[in-house]
Amino acid sequence: MVAVSGGISHAAFGGIGIGYFLGIDPILGAVGFTLGIALLIGTLRQFARQHLDTLIGAVWAAGMAIGILFVYLTPGFAPDLFGYLFGNILLVPSSDIVLLAVLIVVILAVVAFYYHDLLAITFDEEYATVMNLPVQQIMLLLLALIALTVVMLIQVVGIILVIALLTLPAAISREFSTGISHMMVYAVILGCVFTTIGIFLSYLLDVPSGATIILISTAAYAGVTGFTLLRRS
Amino acid sequence: MTGAVIEAEGVWLTRNGGIILEDVSLTINSGDFFAIIGPNGGGKTTLLRIFLGLIAPTRGEVRVFGGPPSENRMRLGYVPQSRTFDFQYPISVMQMVLSGRLGHVHRVPRRYRSEDRTAAEEALETMGISHLADRMIQGLSGGEQQRVVIARALVGDPEVLLLDEPTVYVDTPTEAEFYKVLATLAQRMTVVLVTHDIGVIVSHVNKVACLNRRLFTHDSREISADMIDRAYGCPVDLIAHGLPHRVFRHHEEGE
Repeated sequence: MVAVSGGISHAAFGGIGIGYFLGIDPILGAVGFTLGIALLIGTLRQFARQHLDTLIGAVWAAGMAIGILFVYLTPGFAPDLFGYLFGNILLVPSSDIVLLAVLIVVILAVVAFYYHDLLAITFDEEYATVMNLPVQQIMLLLLALIALTVVMLIQVVGIILVIALLTLPAAISREFSTGISHMMVYAVILGCVFTTIGIFLSYLLDVPSGATIILISTAAYAGVTGFTLLRRS
Repeated sequence: MTGAVIEAEGVWLTRNGGIILEDVSLTINSGDFFAIIGPNGGGKTTLLRIFLGLIAPTRGEVRVFGGPPSENRMRLGYVPQSRTFDFQYPISVMQMVLSGRLGHVHRVPRRYRSEDRTAAEEALETMGISHLADRMIQGLSGGEQQRVVIARALVGDPEVLLLDEPTVYVDTPTEAEFYKVLATLAQRMTVVLVTHDIGVIVSHVNKVACLNRRLFTHDSREISADMIDRAYGCPVDLIAHGLPHRVFRHHEEGE
């Protein structure tokens, strides 16, 4: 699922480019485009029997290419793409914050509703199939949730660094949790902590916030992994 | 309950031009302790996956309880050979076993009821791992993990238990004990055991078939030298030398 988020986040760039081209909010463009990409990945994986890895590679490259093409085709001033690549949490407009809040509520509600289905399918897809759970639908739902989450995070840390914020807090909390629900809660808390410390440090040192947040997360991950290794040996 | 639980009729499977299964026909009856033996790569796992509706045969028909596999597979319990899941996944033994009940929970959102928990506790007890209920699966030994996988298959009250090389992860001292548990289970339900290990199965099993692309059955627990020869010997020869092997033509294949 780490690679899936990587692929989808880079594909989101295509949506941003299309958004610029059509003259709509690039974030709306990214929401629509990434949702489409997520559903495409899920469907192709099932029916064309393609490897997830291959699909991710294709989506990753094609998304970036589409973004660059459409930004190039957009007449007038070239927009600030750097902001989308590395993000800037301090420049998120209030209208987007409302949009993000809505997305969070939707994601929480879906996860709560389908908790056991999601658990069974991410744990063992084949066994879930044998139990006749709606595997394909739930998988598409999960991919759609990842797409929405990725778009949310692009605002904060940018396309390049989304993967870090999706995986590092989860990887750290996995070392300490006694179940997937604990892990989810810990990961959320860690994500908030890293983001807050990152913003604070970036303000003190006058450096970009997105990169600082990611470096804080990576340092914490390295620290925890090192500590676990030492304790084991 | 008597009669056929799983029937295969003239099942063929080809993949990328190669023949994986060739005209396989067999009937597994209720109450059977049915062993399917054969060399690695002979198509044993594939055949089980066809029974489960995970793979559709190229030709031929499979019926599970008289209907298509995908309709009735909730009545089968499945113990896969390869790890279809990640043993590092943060899930407790109890949660993993409970997840085997989800096929019986039809109301959405799916929540476990007290009868699901009771069934999970019973399955853990049957496999002798009640004490592991709250442990995370990642800390378990190979044999313990395998018991959890079987408990997950049992928790759905299956009428047929399909086991694919169940002793691969079990060390030799616990293996005998393991087959004792299987023999107990075989008194309660139909058991289909797939293994490449000919030696261990004979004492408990009542029917044996040899599979190496083709299926050779005897309709008894006897494994004849002839069967072994045909399942293990000839096709291996065929593959090794790429020459047609006449011995096939003199015998009757299948049932």
